[in-house]
Amino acid sequence: MKKIAIVYSFNTKKTSKIAEMIKEAFNDDSVEMVNAEEINAEKFNAYDQLILGVPTWFDGELPNYWDELIPDLEELDLKEKKVAIFGLGDQKGYPENFQDGVGIMAEFMESLGAEIVGFTSTEGYAYERSLAERGDQFVGLAIDYENQSSKNKERVTGWVTDLKKAFS
Amino acid sequence: MSVEKKYHIKKTDKETLENWFRLMVLGRILDDRAPNYLKQAIGWSYHAPFAGHDGIQLAIGQVFDKEHDHLFPYYRDMLTAISAGLTAEEIILNGISKDTDVAGGGRHMSNHFAKPEWNIHNTSSCTGNHALHATGVGRALKKYKVPGVAISSKGESSVSEGYVYEAINGASNEQLPVIFVFQDNGYGISVPKKDQTANRKVADNFSGFKYLKIFHCNGKDVFDSMNTMAAAKEYVEKHEHPVIVQANCVRIHSHSNSDRHELYRDDYELNYINEYDPLAKYRRLLLRYERFTEEELKSIEEEAKEIVKKAHKAAMSAPDPDPSSIFDHVIAEPYVSEKYPDGLHNHEGEPKKLIEALNETLKAEFRHNPDTYIWGQDIAYKEKGGIFNVTKGMQQEFGKERVFNAPIAEDFIVGTANGMSRFNDKIRIVVEGAEFADYFWPAMEQLLDTSHDFWRTNGKFSPNITIRLASGGYIGGGLYHSQTIEGTLTTLPGIRVVYPTYADDAAGLLRTSIRSRGVTLFLEPKALYNAPKAAAPIPDDFEVPFGKARVRKEGSDVTVITYGNTTPMCMEIADHMTEKDVSTEVIDLRSLNPLDTETILNSVKKTGKVLIVHEDKVFGGFGGELAAQITESAFEYLDGPVVRVGSTFTPVGFNRILEKAILPDVDRIQKALDKIIQY
Repeated sequence: MKKIAIVYSFNTKKTSKIAEMIKEAFNDDSVEMVNAEEINAEKFNAYDQLILGVPTWFDGELPNYWDELIPDLEELDLKEKKVAIFGLGDQKGYPENFQDGVGIMAEFMESLGAEIVGFTSTEGYAYERSLAERGDQFVGLAIDYENQSSKNKERVTGWVTDLKKAFS
Repeated sequence: MSVEKKYHIKKTDKETLENWFRLMVLGRILDDRAPNYLKQAIGWSYHAPFAGHDGIQLAIGQVFDKEHDHLFPYYRDMLTAISAGLTAEEIILNGISKDTDVAGGGRHMSNHFAKPEWNIHNTSSCTGNHALHATGVGRALKKYKVPGVAISSKGESSVSEGYVYEAINGASNEQLPVIFVFQDNGYGISVPKKDQTANRKVADNFSGFKYLKIFHCNGKDVFDSMNTMAAAKEYVEKHEHPVIVQANCVRIHSHSNSDRHELYRDDYELNYINEYDPLAKYRRLLLRYERFTEEELKSIEEEAKEIVKKAHKAAMSAPDPDPSSIFDHVIAEPYVSEKYPDGLHNHEGEPKKLIEALNETLKAEFRHNPDTYIWGQDIAYKEKGGIFNVTKGMQQEFGKERVFNAPIAEDFIVGTANGMSRFNDKIRIVVEGAEFADYFWPAMEQLLDTSHDFWRTNGKFSPNITIRLASGGYIGGGLYHSQTIEGTLTTLPGIRVVYPTYADDAAGLLRTSIRSRGVTLFLEPKALYNAPKAAAPIPDDFEVPFGKARVRKEGSDVTVITYGNTTPMCMEIADHMTEKDVSTEVIDLRSLNPLDTETILNSVKKTGKVLIVHEDKVFGGFGGELAAQITESAFEYLDGPVVRVGSTFTPVGFNRILEKAILPDVDRIQKALDKIIQY
């Protein structure tokens, strides 16, 4: 059986809520919740399928807990792994960097050989630039708590439905 | 853009990591301690904390090479200065404004760190103003074909200033080796960046500039900052193009000790900026990746505390500045004429026009000194040599490297002259400050800053510049081709102001200006450029010292003091007065600052009657200063009031009827003189 983890910072509020919604939508007790602030390369590598919670900070940066973990992960071989990323961003306040964190993390995971799954449509969002954008899709799930929180549930549910197929 | 990861937490050698940590800790201790000096009334009354900018400031200082580069820090750049080599003691000496402060002996505001002898330049409090100086010194690096880059560091809000645009445009256009660093902490004091410009990343405003590369980095992260600054410098050196590095930072504290950031930042923000403290992040990385143990880091921290303790003790016992030194280094020393100590000659020969005198003297001085440069608007394009052809033929003779056009940006013209001067003390620069003196106002900010440099550095840096301005009216030029601005210029200590009338004096003063250290405003009465009445025979090597007036006509009944366009009028009237048996002495000041007070007072004591005549407005004009000095120093010798003639307190109208009603003329001067001699 494939080991699945949702990796995010337990010290966050909004990211944690989305992580919990994802877990609920999976409706699968085997999906583990893992604190990104405590994980290391070995632990990370123990999972086959990973769902990463990556909010975008400042003008398009990873939060410290991810940024500080990256050097540890750099030598991993993730060829056999599937990674899905959900991000939090503010498309009105930071339209030039909407969901950049998702894009940065996707690129990094791909550089280690991982397959990114869980792309979503950019339809329904209004922003200027995003490192998470690939054609008409994001390389993950884009949550905007500040401006579109009413869509969170629908977006999470739809995404998890797709992820279940991608992970199967 | 992504850059090569030359530096990495797992790969960079331990010695380097330790050095960085030591510098960062040292900086942070000083940053945290600085407010204590104010609380104890010792000094450091201005302190702009750098905490939150640690990554990028460390990186700027680390890539700076004092043998070849030029660094222009701003007032928040304490760690930049430390990383570039300043000691803790030097930082404190600046903070508490001691005589031995290496930036300038306590003359400049605290938290303005500099060391001119290392090319860590002493810069203005007008943040971003030094962007033009970096472009100027970049021009020198390129012209003299030497290795090195200029680094101009500033906050992101300063980019709203027009002079930063001008500097980047110029560096791009001339392809100069300049790194413009924007330390972006999101605020200009309390003004959020959304109120500054539409782009959150202001560097992207410049994305259309040719020959300009833009880098973005995380200024809170040591490795990203180091990799980006290293890549930026490498790019500049390889491509000889300027770059911008925009570093995202946080400002952990208030803007300065006179700001209270809790008035405009909420608890959430104040909390997360602390969580993103760059020093804490670097420390965590060193431990997490087992490059150092906790004990090792603590030992470095203790060592830094000791360094600061010793530095504090030494700085506290350092001497204060001597109040009697305030007149030292106001302006650098002028060229001394041995052959013409009074600026007089008996040369006979064919009279030359004022414009010929200027053109020939410029050429002679450019032949005499290969380190001379001239630029300005319209100054050199094909057969054209300046709006009035004063520089005609210069580019053909001296080439485009030394004689070239400037963009229509007066602040840029003066600011880059200041910057290029910083390359070495041999360089002498002449600029046409504007097409007409009327257009010089945008350059006033740079002129003011330039006027401070020699004093502010305690004599360590003198901008050596002659600023030529075609001045005055009488040409039917209206509001923007008639202004004469010496009334404003003479209020500034640190610059000379000369205003010749005749061709020989113009030649002599121009030669002295170009050979002198310091800044000289060389005002040319453009209405006389081709006037036969201003023509004169000129010795080839003529020199006129500063501060030497010329008695153009001796007399004993009344003194007329004048300069510029009104001198020939006064001479004409003096001749008429001779016919009326009134002996009139006419003094042509030539030099307004320094002023030949001795010649003025000697004349006043002789005649007891004084008329001051100038083209500028009477109200607020330079004549007010002359009248005050005469009244103060020679009151007992006066037989009547000191009378002034000048223009009305209005702009100069374009219609000739209006112009005549405004500017002084022979009739108005004559009437005033007739009145004075009645006393």
